Amino acid sequence: MSEEPQTSDTELLHAIARGDELALAALYDRYSSILLGLILRILHNRPEAEDVLQEMFLQVWRRAADFDEARGRGFTWLVTLARSRAIDRLRAVASRERAATAAMHESHGDVSDASDDVLRSEQAEIVRRALDGIPEEQRRALVLAYYEGLTQSEIAERLKQPLGTVKTRMRSGMIKLRELLGEQMRSVRIGS
Amino acid sequence: MKHEEYKELLEVAALDALDAAEGIALEAHLAECATCPAEADAWREVAAALALPMTPVKPSAAVRERLLEAVRTQSPPVHAVAAPDAQTNGEGVAAQTSNVVSLDSRRERRGVIISKPLLTFGSIAASVAIAALAVTLALLWSQNKALKTQLAQMSDSLRQTEQEIGSLRADRELLAAPDARAVALAGTKDATKAQARLTFDQRTGRAILVAANLPPAPAGKAYQLWFIAGGKPLPGGLFRPDATGHAELHDTVPTAGRNANTFAVTLEPQGGVPAPTGSMYLLSAAS
Repeated sequence: MSEEPQTSDTELLHAIARGDELALAALYDRYSSILLGLILRILHNRPEAEDVLQEMFLQVWRRAADFDEARGRGFTWLVTLARSRAIDRLRAVASRERAATAAMHESHGDVSDASDDVLRSEQAEIVRRALDGIPEEQRRALVLAYYEGLTQSEIAERLKQPLGTVKTRMRSGMIKLRELLGEQMRSVRIGS
Repeated sequence: MKHEEYKELLEVAALDALDAAEGIALEAHLAECATCPAEADAWREVAAALALPMTPVKPSAAVRERLLEAVRTQSPPVHAVAAPDAQTNGEGVAAQTSNVVSLDSRRERRGVIISKPLLTFGSIAASVAIAALAVTLALLWSQNKALKTQLAQMSDSLRQTEQEIGSLRADRELLAAPDARAVALAGTKDATKAQARLTFDQRTGRAILVAANLPPAPAGKAYQLWFIAGGKPLPGGLFRPDATGHAELHDTVPTAGRNANTFAVTLEPQGGVPAPTGSMYLLSAAS
């Protein structure tokens, strides 16, 4: 994923840690659309999502020095920040819109292949296919956790399933996802 | 919980879906486990993939502007911006950034333009604070110095008082000691009204002479006490009486003089002499 002929995410994050505003602008330009897509998927509210996006990049600016490439990719760090900010916001605004809309968005059906970045859309396609390969009830649990910010107890309540069952489904779902992502990556590499 | 049980929480933890209590317990385990943190990171990587299939949504231009404005007005995460690194990165970044020039120039001017009023205010505030601090320090320093001087003086005077008390106590003990010898001295023809009493401890040689009604000692002269043993006078201490003719001498009788039977006081040159040369003013009664 870091084969792009541009400055790597890690390099950009190091530059940001040194106070390089250009690097922040570059990282923003690279990921703001995909991160806003994720935040919007969680919040279902565009002004709030944009607000969270801005807050999140300010956090990147202040905390870039915390990023440790030995622990994972820069993208993963950004996604983790974005998600945790979005979920914090979601919990702060409570359940006003959530009750109404969340149930409608459990599926991953609102994904699209519209991306100006061919490679990234290729990756998106890999993940989409991987998600399709996960048994339905496992995928539902993952989706509720990842995109709705629900805890496993909340998911159990939502799905009216025993907590133990939900735990098992989530674990199995993650293990399957990893397996399928690995397979898909290999097949793409071989194919390309 | 056991390590294996914590390990089974990692997949769900990567989705931030653990319930609070489990999450806290896992944090504690991660802090001390050798293998789980790396595995937790790996599961985060898997979870992050779930961000990819979302429809990208281009944020409005205002978000970018607000962000960069906020960044400019906030202090950078690291104050020492390494110029060479920033340049290297700047080139790489330049290809992707449309408003490189304006950003770059803003960045370079940031220290001057944005911070100038702040800097001015800040440096005034800082100068005032430093001046106040300096004054305070100076005050504290001089106060401290004065207190130290005072303390030194007080401890000097205390030491002096202690010495005086010690010496008075010794005097009292000597005067009260049952085995102390007390010898009366009477004035001679040159000082008929004079009289004195010598008390001394034969064991330690410690002696006190108290005299009264002695004529004043002329300039350059002092009275000297003599211990006369076997006809030979041994020199004792020197003293000058006060305006009323009263004098007190604390002395130590030399070993050879402790068996003396006769004691005398003569007027001698101020520095004292090894053998009497001047007139005798006091003399013990022959025993």
